[in-house]
Amino acid sequence: MNDKQSEMHADMTALLATVGAKRDRAAFKAVFLHFAPRVKSYLLRLGANAALADDLAQEAMLTVWRKAEMFDPAKASASTWIFTIARNLRIDAIRRERRPEFDPNDPAFVPDGEQPADDRMMRDGEDARLRIALTKLSAEQAQVVQMSFFADKPHSQIARELGLPLGTVKSRLRLAMARIKSVLGGEA
Amino acid sequence: MSIQHHPADELLLSYAAGATDEAMALVLATHLALCPQCRRTVARAEAAGGALLESGGSAPLASDALQAVLSRLDEPVRKATPVPRAPSKAPEPLRSYIGGDLDAVRWTKIAGGISFKPLFQRGSARAQLIRSRAGAGVGLHSHRGEEFTLCLTGGYTDETGRYARGDLQSTTPDILHRPIADEGEDCIVLAVSDAPLLFRNFGIALIAKWFGF
Repeated sequence: MNDKQSEMHADMTALLATVGAKRDRAAFKAVFLHFAPRVKSYLLRLGANAALADDLAQEAMLTVWRKAEMFDPAKASASTWIFTIARNLRIDAIRRERRPEFDPNDPAFVPDGEQPADDRMMRDGEDARLRIALTKLSAEQAQVVQMSFFADKPHSQIARELGLPLGTVKSRLRLAMARIKSVLGGEA
Repeated sequence: MSIQHHPADELLLSYAAGATDEAMALVLATHLALCPQCRRTVARAEAAGGALLESGGSAPLASDALQAVLSRLDEPVRKATPVPRAPSKAPEPLRSYIGGDLDAVRWTKIAGGISFKPLFQRGSARAQLIRSRAGAGVGLHSHRGEEFTLCLTGGYTDETGRYARGDLQSTTPDILHRPIADEGEDCIVLAVSDAPLLFRNFGIALIAKWFGF
């Protein structure tokens, strides 16, 4: 990643926050132009045909507009937040299943304690560092991470397809997760 | 008491990726509602998802796509009216799957102080609630596949340790265990498995099979 990309990335997060705070259409348009093709590409890789991927990418961006007020730049970057929207839409529309998620407003929800000062997800450059770290995973780790995010495969299926013991798939994913945690800090 | 038993990181990564089946996602999301520590791990894995979205290529949309979306920005959105909820032992998303709190559950008794309530099944993965009377044992059993058990009320102890509210136990086919509910409160767990349990006691095995337990 070069400086320009990194800058663009910080811009997107700021723009998305502006969409949320001011219902700013120009900012939304910029967010759309950057992310809609990425969301479509994500959906194509997960097996949607071109027409469905186009429809769902539009639906995802409409959801971005409608939920933008809930976007908190202190907690996630624009790309992370939009990823979760695309992921949930995909599960709903392509797999035809519900995506069970916790609800922070539920009375039984156990809230976070005091966040340590270093626990901000969006510290300067953190996302850029994470992207670099992902390119530096071993080929074996990168493969199982890609299969989790882009092939909708549970561990047992990844193991079958790669002809590996289940334990090997798990340990590769665990090592990849350890790398992600070490880059983002705050081993929980 | 804080949670002692957590899901493995690779499971949280798959949940963040959207690659777990619905039953597995339900037990993980319910644990997450009770566990800030694992929520932080999921947030980190989602950040990896964001990074992969960013760098994973782009596919141009139809030429009228932006215009189509812009023209829909002012569409009225039906907002779900929030339902006032009393404090409950079943946090979301579990509560929605039950259709209420744990005291709304209609249990089916099987044997020896054990009741269960199937929630749903997709393919071979099934989610069910199991209730053991305080002090009762579930009986010696093993698992054909992997099973994940999230403790919701009371607690239980087996050969591997003690489990209380929020604790998530992962069992693999090689584990033969005899969980016994703690004294005091009935123990209710959410159990998700990809194959039925294997009971050593023939009577319980028969009843369990009959009920699809």
